Amino acid sequence: MEALVHLGNGFLQVLQPMNLLVLFIGLVLGMLVAVLPGLTLVMGVVLALPFTYTMELLPAIILLTAMYVSGTYGGAFTAILFRIPGEPIDVPLLWDGYTMARKGQPAKALGWTLFSALGGGLVMIMVMVLASAPVAKFALTFSSPEYFAIIIFGLASVVSLGGGSITNAAISLMLGLLIATVGVDSIYGAERFAFGVPFLQDGIEYLLVMVGAYGLGEVFTRMEKGFAGDGTVADTDRRINTEFPTLAEMLKLKMTFMRSSLIGIIVGIIPGAGATVASFVAYGAEGQYGKRGKELGSGIAEGIIAPQTAATSSVGGAMIPLLTMGIPGSGATAIILGAFLLHGMQPGPQVFVTSGPFVYAVFASMFLGVIGMCIIGYFAIKPLVKVLELPEAVVSAFVVMFCFIGAFAARNNLSDLYVITAFGILGYLFEKFKFPIAPMVLGVILGPLAESSFMTMMVSHGNDWTVLMGRPISATVMVLAVVALVYPIQRQLREKTRRSGT
Amino acid sequence: MLNRLLRASPYIVVQLAAMYLYQVAGRIDFPAAPGRIGPDFWPKSILVLLGLVCVYEIIKNLLIGETFTAAGLLEKLMKDSGEVEGEEKLPSYPLLLGGGIVLTIIYVVTISSLGFFLATIAYLALFMALGRYRNWTVIAASSVLGALGLMFIFMKVVYVSLPLGVEPFSAVSLWLLRVMGVH
Repeated sequence: MEALVHLGNGFLQVLQPMNLLVLFIGLVLGMLVAVLPGLTLVMGVVLALPFTYTMELLPAIILLTAMYVSGTYGGAFTAILFRIPGEPIDVPLLWDGYTMARKGQPAKALGWTLFSALGGGLVMIMVMVLASAPVAKFALTFSSPEYFAIIIFGLASVVSLGGGSITNAAISLMLGLLIATVGVDSIYGAERFAFGVPFLQDGIEYLLVMVGAYGLGEVFTRMEKGFAGDGTVADTDRRINTEFPTLAEMLKLKMTFMRSSLIGIIVGIIPGAGATVASFVAYGAEGQYGKRGKELGSGIAEGIIAPQTAATSSVGGAMIPLLTMGIPGSGATAIILGAFLLHGMQPGPQVFVTSGPFVYAVFASMFLGVIGMCIIGYFAIKPLVKVLELPEAVVSAFVVMFCFIGAFAARNNLSDLYVITAFGILGYLFEKFKFPIAPMVLGVILGPLAESSFMTMMVSHGNDWTVLMGRPISATVMVLAVVALVYPIQRQLREKTRRSGT
Repeated sequence: MLNRLLRASPYIVVQLAAMYLYQVAGRIDFPAAPGRIGPDFWPKSILVLLGLVCVYEIIKNLLIGETFTAAGLLEKLMKDSGEVEGEEKLPSYPLLLGGGIVLTIIYVVTISSLGFFLATIAYLALFMALGRYRNWTVIAASSVLGALGLMFIFMKVVYVSLPLGVEPFSAVSLWLLRVMGVH
């Protein structure tokens, strides 16, 4: 009951004109970055962060979460209409969405996408509202061993679920953890890896690592490819409409919808997985368990519903550990955590005690965001896909500018521009040598939290690390972390042995 | 052998860096408390793990010549989807990349002297031209209007104090600020 009252108040707050305007801007920006192949969803959210510095906390979080939600939907337009996936999330939409469009039903394919984004979005809000408070209450019972184990599980799953090889992801993660140790240590006040350089003594802000590696690094990578997107790829003058599926058609596919929503939320909760993995896993599950699984790829509605529903609902899954434990599991939630911290609020188990109404206002904004995203998607597909005509060199030049201003504005320090340039080059080298960037970024973010919970655990338990295995929750989570790391390696080795045997 | 060395080279670089940083971590100065681990423990543990992973990759790539790597789930899904093959076929422009990096470094070095406005106009125009875009009218217009727009948004709306530069370039920035009504 209390939750409903808070939610009602949250709606009232979000319906303030300024918050509504920010929500609208966030939705449009999220869709734009999702449509543009040169810009990723995470990059878009990073670039929007500096605009939130002078905002109040609520509009800042509304802007970023709106971008996060709509970013999982916008790329579907170009994937279905032009076979251009704006994001890796949209790759599974090529198989049935684009095929359905080629069969002469683009409007129907877009209608199924809209229905899936709406449905997945509404389910995720419901789960967030119902599950977040109990999860936070449960997390209140955690002490340092449980926290440390959860962070280790998060880092292990980032390594095993992400892109790149597992060893490269592990190296990337450890580099991130090392970067987080630069500066003055918070317990002893000792200087680590600063080499007498003043700005290193203050530590390296994770924002700089993110902006540099994700933003600048991506621009350098695309520059090496000669900015292949010359703005002439799509014939955007063709007639674009959206045709809703009928109620009977929707009801027929309710199992696909429910299964994919659930997969999206579960995958979203697991750190490191995110919307892309959710989208692929849901498509795969549909192939395996769906009534028409064998027909996937021939342009059927299930092949659109599964990935889109899972992608959108994964956002809710990812927001739960962020809000209730302060642990971001993906690039986008890491930036949202950054916005929280910049505004002096630490998400975590106490969040419902100290800032309950605020959290419900965020939920309300996400609900309105899902509705708004679908309305914008319905009416504004044509102008949205027009951005494909923008020359990539021009867009990239401005992306660099936003990266620099974003980095500079955080501390008004010109040295930070050198730092992001260095991380831009490092980000490019990571791409070049197939080292994933996400583990490094999450290592930088979670590193201080991991170290402080580890040190607290060691001090409180007489340097006895086996305490991790002596407590039920931490032991279970540690076992899960080991399984998360070992299982994919073991499975692929087995696959390799089988292949070489045949 | 050269191929093997090339494959192992990133790991060799990281391994050497890890060994050096381990030495540095050994010299971290702190008031040691008996029976308590110090601030060097955490970075040293990470460096040992990092070193072990690198040694594994170096042995695998350089000595055994094994190319098998266990991929993360997302990597495997993308590979299985077959939708990433096209990326490999794109031509490479290392000079363009080198130019872009040098241009970016020059921008960072000169922004404090030239000021945000002038440095940004030059950077935007040169970056677009370097990026093989050849519509000079668009380049000129978007550089000037872009720099002006960014300056207005960040200094007037978001209140970020962007670099104004030194004399005589700061005169341009200050004049613009007066025109924009920024005090």
